[in-house]
Amino acid sequence: MTRLQIVLVRLALLVLMLGAWELLPRNGVVNPRLLPPLGDVLVMLADILGRPAVQEAILVTAAEVIVAFIIAVPVGAAVGVLIAENDYLGEIFKPLLFYVFSIPKSIFLPMFILIMGIGFQQKVAYAAFSTVFVVIMSATAAVESVRADHVLVARSYGATQMQVLTRVYVPSMMPFLLETLRISMIFNFTGVMIAEMYASRTGIGHLIANWGENFQMPQLFAGVILLAAVAIAFNETVRFLEARCSTWRT
Amino acid sequence: MTRPAPATVRWLILLALLVFWELMPRTGLIPELFLPSMTSTLRVLVADWREYAEALMVTLYEVGFAMLIACGFGILAGALVGGLALLRNLLLPVFSSLYAVPIVILYPIFTAWFGIGSESKILFAGVYGFFPVMLSTAAGIRTIDSQLLLAARSMGATLPQQIVRVIIPASIPTVLTGLRLGGALTIIGVVVSEMLTSAAGIGYLVTRYRTILDSAHVFGAILMILLMSILFDLAARAIERRTLTWQTAGRREKETREARPATPVAAPAA
Repeated sequence: MTRLQIVLVRLALLVLMLGAWELLPRNGVVNPRLLPPLGDVLVMLADILGRPAVQEAILVTAAEVIVAFIIAVPVGAAVGVLIAENDYLGEIFKPLLFYVFSIPKSIFLPMFILIMGIGFQQKVAYAAFSTVFVVIMSATAAVESVRADHVLVARSYGATQMQVLTRVYVPSMMPFLLETLRISMIFNFTGVMIAEMYASRTGIGHLIANWGENFQMPQLFAGVILLAAVAIAFNETVRFLEARCSTWRT
Repeated sequence: MTRPAPATVRWLILLALLVFWELMPRTGLIPELFLPSMTSTLRVLVADWREYAEALMVTLYEVGFAMLIACGFGILAGALVGGLALLRNLLLPVFSSLYAVPIVILYPIFTAWFGIGSESKILFAGVYGFFPVMLSTAAGIRTIDSQLLLAARSMGATLPQQIVRVIIPASIPTVLTGLRLGGALTIIGVVVSEMLTSAAGIGYLVTRYRTILDSAHVFGAILMILLMSILFDLAARAIERRTLTWQTAGRREKETREARPATPVAAPAA
């Protein structure tokens, strides 16, 4: 199939799914109280976006996501580079990290709540905590992706440390760094959402949990669509950049 | 001076953590409310073992069913998407995009639809674990050395023979990695959903004891979840190591490793 055909078939599938979402509840095939028709959900989405309480919740959530990201990524990247560059530390910590990685971080949420309450800093601290391990692992993989013979060639031609760093390390690592950013954002966003849904007074995750408990399905679906759209948009932007950067590598 | 072996250092770190856990609350440097000491946590576990055991049975039952769903549908969908070029071109990028959505935001929908009993947890955790299993299975089938298939076909293997003798054995390591990740995620999914809205299970104990500020009981539950996920990880790794011995050619090993980073690292743990 050509690219055009693929895009067309995908569009057709999308239209089919959205059409089913609209028509099945409308005709009563599916209970509209359980699955409100797409049209109603979109109207509700426009409605809740106009409410000051929702706008405030979005701002709070955005601030939490950004601050947690700014904390987790540099810390994780520094530790990851240290582990990748130092063989001894790597041998000690890599197996430990794999275990930590498979542990559900959410079980430590109660600790964060007991120590910090349920405010802004608790959300940021938990999200950063749940993100930092994946940053460490991806940063390690990024450094290890630099090929030793490239470094050797650069050194043999008399490149300085600085030149090796900027001309070999950064370009080789660029796609992996973007990949790291992308994946850590997924974790970070998930962390903020869980923390908000678990115990919170504000934030979009708190609203979603509330809407679900009160059986306000149109609001709930509108919130889910909003969050999914934001997450996918960020992800696709970074993937687009990734694809452009990988042309540097050979 | 020679450095101690890495494994020794690892055990020392673990030991230091345990000592820290015991001494910090005992000396009052960290209040018992924030971190109850190891002995008081263990004492609570022993005293209320019946409650913890009942909660653990509920959780294990949910985890078991969720893993069946995640692995069954994940392997099936992954085999289809990885094996058929048409579906692969059409759907794989779509699945990778959907992967960015924090699945936990769907949980309120599950509780609204299926109630707060075990059903909502099983289905939610099944969806949670489905994606890594599917993506790894697709990757495992796609990264099979085409030389192997070519050789099998040249020697006149029929399609069923190719599937049974080449495709399945060659994709098993990658699929198992996916099952390990998917299994870990279903455990996470069950625990998270029990913590959020439920009336039973070990995650529910965490939440109930947190709201009445009983840290020792919270940590008892945390400890059990930790043990559960570490034991699962150890078991899954042991199975993976055993099956790796089937693999002989060095080439494929390298290829899967190169094809892997996309999936294992991308597991959206919570």
